[in-house]
Amino acid sequence: MHQRTLDQWSRGASWLHRRDARAKALGTLALLALISSAPVRAAPLYLGVTAILAAGILVARLPLAAVLLRAAIVIPLSLTFAALVAIQGDVAKAAALVVRTYLSAAAALLLVGVTPLPKLLDGLRRLGVPKMIILTTQFLYRYLFVLVEQSQHMRIAASARGGGRVLRAIGLRRAAGSVAVLFARSYDRAEGIYRAMLARGFQGEFRLLEPTRFGWADSLLLGGLVLVCAVLGWSLPAA
Amino acid sequence: MHIPDGFLSPPVWLAMDLAAIPAVGLVARKAQGALEESSIPLLGVMGAFVFAAQMINFPVGPGTSGHLVGAALLAYLLGPWAAAMVMTSILAIQSLVFQDGGILALGANVWNMAMIGVLAAWLPYHSQAVASRRKAVIFTGAFLSVICAGCLALAELLISGLHIPAPVLAVALALFAVSAAIEGGITVAIIQAIEKIHPGWIQAGASGGKRTGLMVVGAAALVLAVGGVLVASSSPDGLERLIETAGLSSRGRALISTPLSGYEWSMMASEWLRKALAGLAGLVLIYGLCLLLGRGLIRRRSS
Repeated sequence: MHQRTLDQWSRGASWLHRRDARAKALGTLALLALISSAPVRAAPLYLGVTAILAAGILVARLPLAAVLLRAAIVIPLSLTFAALVAIQGDVAKAAALVVRTYLSAAAALLLVGVTPLPKLLDGLRRLGVPKMIILTTQFLYRYLFVLVEQSQHMRIAASARGGGRVLRAIGLRRAAGSVAVLFARSYDRAEGIYRAMLARGFQGEFRLLEPTRFGWADSLLLGGLVLVCAVLGWSLPAA
Repeated sequence: MHIPDGFLSPPVWLAMDLAAIPAVGLVARKAQGALEESSIPLLGVMGAFVFAAQMINFPVGPGTSGHLVGAALLAYLLGPWAAAMVMTSILAIQSLVFQDGGILALGANVWNMAMIGVLAAWLPYHSQAVASRRKAVIFTGAFLSVICAGCLALAELLISGLHIPAPVLAVALALFAVSAAIEGGITVAIIQAIEKIHPGWIQAGASGGKRTGLMVVGAAALVLAVGGVLVASSSPDGLERLIETAGLSSRGRALISTPLSGYEWSMMASEWLRKALAGLAGLVLIYGLCLLLGRGLIRRRSS
């Protein structure tokens, strides 16, 4: 499944995987900001960003083709809008829109491809994101695929009982009924989780098995990325 | 409706991100105050529940089916603060794990769907006066939630300099209206089904009375403001003309040009700044009108 690939990628042990989540998150933000502020005709800049991303993927030893393919998930939406712009005669702007969107998606994918989500969220918490949001997101990610699987099981069960085609009014009520049952089960599950957490000594926050420290290599990564982005941005042709 | 990175111009995403920081902080604090510690896993599981519920198809017409967006449903199940926070978490996971919505655009998406989307759903619900109209109120809330979020997303794209021709804009609005109606119908059906299992799971709205008027005015003001932003961003020239005829132009122009004159970037920034200021002026105007209207209504009611 989708998320299993991402989990496998993020559990690697390359130099990039071992860096502190804060350095990777802030570095990605710098890269994204550079991409988003690039003017329409700035081929060297887009090539530069592509080179940085490709280097990142290679250093992280991620499968290049798979990453590039997965980032293409944003292409349909950006192509739709690009077609809209192109019809109005501005083909260069349309092309820049697609390139920008694609490069941004690849940058985001590289970030989560080299940082397990619990580590990334812990890094964001240390950067000042409210604890409530972080905890909620951690629980969400933990139970996301459990509940999605449950909903798929319910769908299979319903069709096994002869769900096929029914009148529209009945179909709507039946779908609403399954969501309600899913809700009831989720609610029960949440209560069970809380009791289990208390039994295991939960004290209000998740702890990482291997806490990371912001070392000199992390400063090097972040500093290098920000410097490269600044230089690329500085040498931009005027918009 | 999830805006990816690369669509919004830097001033737009930066402004939305900066505006989202205090909003998310406030929502997190309020949600923490309103909940017990045992609710922390519940919020995360509810976020996962929305993901799972989105996978269930609802037959809505011949050959077509829709699925849930969820902001309104969450608001009615968890209350507005917790709902806004869970929506923020959902958007964060969608942008990080599924590349559905950008990271820089997260602030904009949070505003559109988690903040305004939940507020638009909650205001009519909170104002419900008569139990018999409950279905209509839930439908309206879910409808407004989707349509407001969609209009805001369109406005942000327009302000970012993406030209959308008027006919395409009309088609987009019509599509938003259809999906908003679907969301309304689905939300009503789900709320009824959940109530059958356990009525206590649904948040109580207001018991009617004085606040009803205020909430209706609030909802109307929100819709007007969102519509105003969309209109202003699609035709900033028209609004400029309006400001000019109102005699504000000389003062407005002085305000814009004085602090920036002499700087090289004022030439580049002025086009965007003019658009933004025109939009903002329109928003303030509409907000003021709604405020006056609301005050007048309440005074008449209490007298």
